Amino acid sequence: MLRQRCGMTRNDPIKHFFIWPALLIVLVISIFPLIYSLTTSFMSLRLVPPIPPRFVGFGNYVELLQNPRFWHVAWTTTIISFISVALQYVIGFSVALALNRNVPGEGLFRVSFLLPMLVAPVAVALIARQILNPTMGPLNELMTFFGFPNLPFLTQTRWAIGAIISVEVWQWTPFVMLMLLAGLQTLPDDVYEAAALENASSWQQFWGITFPMMLPISVAVVFIRLIESYKIMDTVFVMTGGGPGISTETLTLFAYQEGFKKFNLGYTSALSFLFLIVITVIGLVYLAILKPYLEKHK
Amino acid sequence: MSVRDLKGNGRWWALAGCLLWLAFTFFPLYWVAITSFKSPLGVVGGPTYLPFIDFEPTLTAWRELLSGQRGQFYNTFMASTIVGLSASVIATAVGSMAAYALVRFTFEVRLLTGVIFVVVAFGGYLLGRHIAGYGQAISLIYAFVAALALAIGSSRIRLPGPILGNNDIVFWFVSQRMFPPIVAAFALFLMYTEMGKLGFKLVDTYIGLTFAYVAFSLPIVIWLMRDFFAALPIEVEEAAMVDNVPSWRIFFGIVVPMSKPGLIATFMITLAFVWNEFLFALFLTNSRWQTLPILVAGQNSQRGDEWWSISAAALVAIIPMVIMAGILSRMMRSGLLLGAIK
Amino acid sequence: MRRLLLSTTAAGLLAMAGASSALACDPDYTGITLTATTQTGPYIASALQLAAKGWSEKTCGKVNVVEFPWSELYPKIVTSLTSGEDTFDVIAFAPAWAPDFTDYLSEMPKAMQSGPDWEDIAPVYREQLMVWNGKVLSQTMDGDAHTYTYRIDLFEKPENQTAFKAKYGYDLAPPKTWKQYLDIAEFFQQPANGLWGTAEAFRRGGQQFWFLFSHVAGYTSHPDNPGAMFFDPDTMDAQVNNPGWVRGLEEYIKASKLAPPNALNFSFGEVNAAFAGGQVAESIGWGDTGVIGADPKQSKVAGNVGSASLPGSDEIWNYKTKKWDKFDHVIQTSFMAFGGWQAAVPASSKNQDAAWDYIKFLTSPAVSGQAAITGGTGVNPYRISHTTNADLWSKIFSPREAKEYLGAQKDAVTAKNTALDMRLPGYFSYTEILEIELSKALAGEVTPQQALDTVAQGWNKLTDDFGRDKQLAAYRSSMGLPAK
Repeated sequence: MLRQRCGMTRNDPIKHFFIWPALLIVLVISIFPLIYSLTTSFMSLRLVPPIPPRFVGFGNYVELLQNPRFWHVAWTTTIISFISVALQYVIGFSVALALNRNVPGEGLFRVSFLLPMLVAPVAVALIARQILNPTMGPLNELMTFFGFPNLPFLTQTRWAIGAIISVEVWQWTPFVMLMLLAGLQTLPDDVYEAAALENASSWQQFWGITFPMMLPISVAVVFIRLIESYKIMDTVFVMTGGGPGISTETLTLFAYQEGFKKFNLGYTSALSFLFLIVITVIGLVYLAILKPYLEKHK
Repeated sequence: MSVRDLKGNGRWWALAGCLLWLAFTFFPLYWVAITSFKSPLGVVGGPTYLPFIDFEPTLTAWRELLSGQRGQFYNTFMASTIVGLSASVIATAVGSMAAYALVRFTFEVRLLTGVIFVVVAFGGYLLGRHIAGYGQAISLIYAFVAALALAIGSSRIRLPGPILGNNDIVFWFVSQRMFPPIVAAFALFLMYTEMGKLGFKLVDTYIGLTFAYVAFSLPIVIWLMRDFFAALPIEVEEAAMVDNVPSWRIFFGIVVPMSKPGLIATFMITLAFVWNEFLFALFLTNSRWQTLPILVAGQNSQRGDEWWSISAAALVAIIPMVIMAGILSRMMRSGLLLGAIK
Repeated sequence: MRRLLLSTTAAGLLAMAGASSALACDPDYTGITLTATTQTGPYIASALQLAAKGWSEKTCGKVNVVEFPWSELYPKIVTSLTSGEDTFDVIAFAPAWAPDFTDYLSEMPKAMQSGPDWEDIAPVYREQLMVWNGKVLSQTMDGDAHTYTYRIDLFEKPENQTAFKAKYGYDLAPPKTWKQYLDIAEFFQQPANGLWGTAEAFRRGGQQFWFLFSHVAGYTSHPDNPGAMFFDPDTMDAQVNNPGWVRGLEEYIKASKLAPPNALNFSFGEVNAAFAGGQVAESIGWGDTGVIGADPKQSKVAGNVGSASLPGSDEIWNYKTKKWDKFDHVIQTSFMAFGGWQAAVPASSKNQDAAWDYIKFLTSPAVSGQAAITGGTGVNPYRISHTTNADLWSKIFSPREAKEYLGAQKDAVTAKNTALDMRLPGYFSYTEILEIELSKALAGEVTPQQALDTVAQGWNKLTDDFGRDKQLAAYRSSMGLPAK
């Protein structure tokens, strides 16, 4: 991660050839959206009904920060992201460990565990709605069997948040698992052989060898998941539509409503930048907290 | 028996856990599979689980989907496949190169250079647009070229101020994924439209869509591949350098084969992202290059959930991915040999 | 068998349409390819596709139908219209969006605005929904009004009739008032038997507010004050928190409790599924409920689908005198919920003639009459001829079902007291506030009065933001009132 690999880096003009294609592509695509959204975030601009754009300075930002709805959706998004990413990491890591240790039937598991990640989020949410349907869904039948018929899976805030988190875990644990498994497979055998000679228990081996060696890739994977979770939209949109009220609305869904239903582009741009700031702060804090550990285990 | 194998009870616990997770993973997929064979009547009547026993399977949903009654099925399928594969291949290749460079070489960019780029790009654009009166696309192109030229030029001279290193560059890449896609997708659509007015059509073209996908996949590829490259033992490369093997051959001949599991995993993830991407596909395509997620989302119609057709469309979107996953995970296993290289 | 029958008639019809010009192309649009867009099929899209086939046989032009998900259709059309590109030649869209599009649409050719085919369109569409500021900018291609659907078998079961009479003191029959509607729902609410009272859409983003509007229309559409349901047509003050609205909302919330347990997550699709699945005794909604309910392939209650007009009220709120006006009879108010899909031609299109000709073909009595009875096209009656040609309908309904269905549909589009749906620039800004407060009220977090007060406040603020005069002019135009 944030390791400085002194002595490992070298200087060679070819490095420019390696990095420029990526740099150029990203620059070309991202520069206009950046310019456009930054300038509109300081304007009052609506496509419908067409109102001539007008400069409002930080007006959009101030209005957003004073809007309780903004804080509410930010909080909902944070809850959903943190809980679901934590679960994804724990489950994903456990499963990856098991697969890496050649659990029986590993070949089958390996492929089938990947599947959820490959289904479009819209489809996943639509499927979830079938399964969670409180009268016609299979889960209702199971719960009725245990004596809890017709639970309001999607129509009561707590249940709805829980349902959204479960769907996120279902869909994205495979991502964590896949990356960690790839990481585990590049770990050298000899360290374990040495540890086995010293009679270290599996538990000790895990915390003493595996976990520290996997820390860099873990940090990277969790970070990506966190960023992507914060952008959660399709799932919520389809499953609850943000309801009841706005209690399951997330930041991106809020932005979607403002941007693509009301075409309130100035406001949406300001929202996007606030979002960017929130994520960047979370990201930097996260990396800063983990930095000492990464250095220690280098 | 290798050190990697589990011994004794642990093995069975692990198996039990995996089976449990398998059930959790599989049930929804099984549910989709059987629902796609149900008739509307079979769905509204409450849950049923076993074809031929619980309910009489029908092919209605599949017939409707494949006949194009529920959206241009073949078109979207082909478009998704072509764009998905090419964008993931390009992104993985270009991104890995950049990631490798960021791991093995030192980059130093003055903060001031970055500032110059941003300021010139912004100022140039606003100037061209509002004062010189050029069109959006023209002012953007001029501003971009000027900004790039000035930024590169300025990096030749010694500017004061803090220096950005490799980590900052990587963070910049990743931050491209942090920006919420709503306004970005719309802005990109505007830019593509403006380019179209200059005679360079990008909306609803293969190049336009693929290019956007490559750009949005690169940050993830770079971020993930960097850690895989960093985990590789440097000794092999050092040995090759002593023998004066050129860097590009070290990369393609030694590094790429060694990081095959990581490359495959990253490719898989990129493909999954592109395959399922919705918002950019919605805005950047019309008739010719519409992709599958739009067709799938369309099954959630104004008139409510038609579960059978949603299921059929979702399944079609999964099947090619399942095949890919099967092939790729087989290739990933060969990564086990990696320890032997050392 | 039924399917076979339908497809052969469809084929015959197409052949007929093509026969008159078997060789010549009339008018000749060889080499022209139109791009039409609408939501993902089969609803509406399949009607466009079916017509596209016939049209290209007749004129040698081609139509390429592009489909987008329902929830994304609006942003897709807005962005393509505002960018000025000639992406689409024909757009099929919801009438509520029309005010946001009017600046970008071309006017219907004058030749299309006369003749028997024109007169055949129900006046409410021809004179109000298709017209914006005195110009015909779109063509209705689907009729949409809310009607009432009930289970004939349950209503005519002797035990039910006696028990109902004993409990409520009047005969069990399709309700005349909203009060009766709720009584019936309460009577049939028998969860132990897997039967619930009624089904309506209550889900945020799932057509919920149209169902509320139907309740409200009965209490606020005063025959003397047309177009005053949503706003005061003189001052543009929101009327949404007046006692008529509060009463409508209270009853809407009550209906949600006399519905299946997950009703709060119902959109119209679930309403149909609940009715067709035999879960509920009655429901309100669009004409699709009847068509789906009568189809044995999709329904458990085929053969027992009764239809009637929406319930009404003998008390209506008068916003001018701020009093409830009592009437000696029940006033039947028809609510034009949604208002029916519209087809229009963007001004940026380079093939406007051909595009309008295609729309003309699509909505001609023959082609549209066929579409109206073809399940899955989503086309409901909007021409007088659609509701009078009982032969067409006997293919999907039993005679009694057909009679009641057509009667209800016809009454809905020709009723004396008609409430038009809200259509305003910035439509989504208005409905968003409503949807949020509505789902809070449904969840019991706020009282109906509190919810509607918040909505009224929000609506007034939006009106001021967008420009009160401009919004007022648009509102009057949308309600078919003369400009002030």
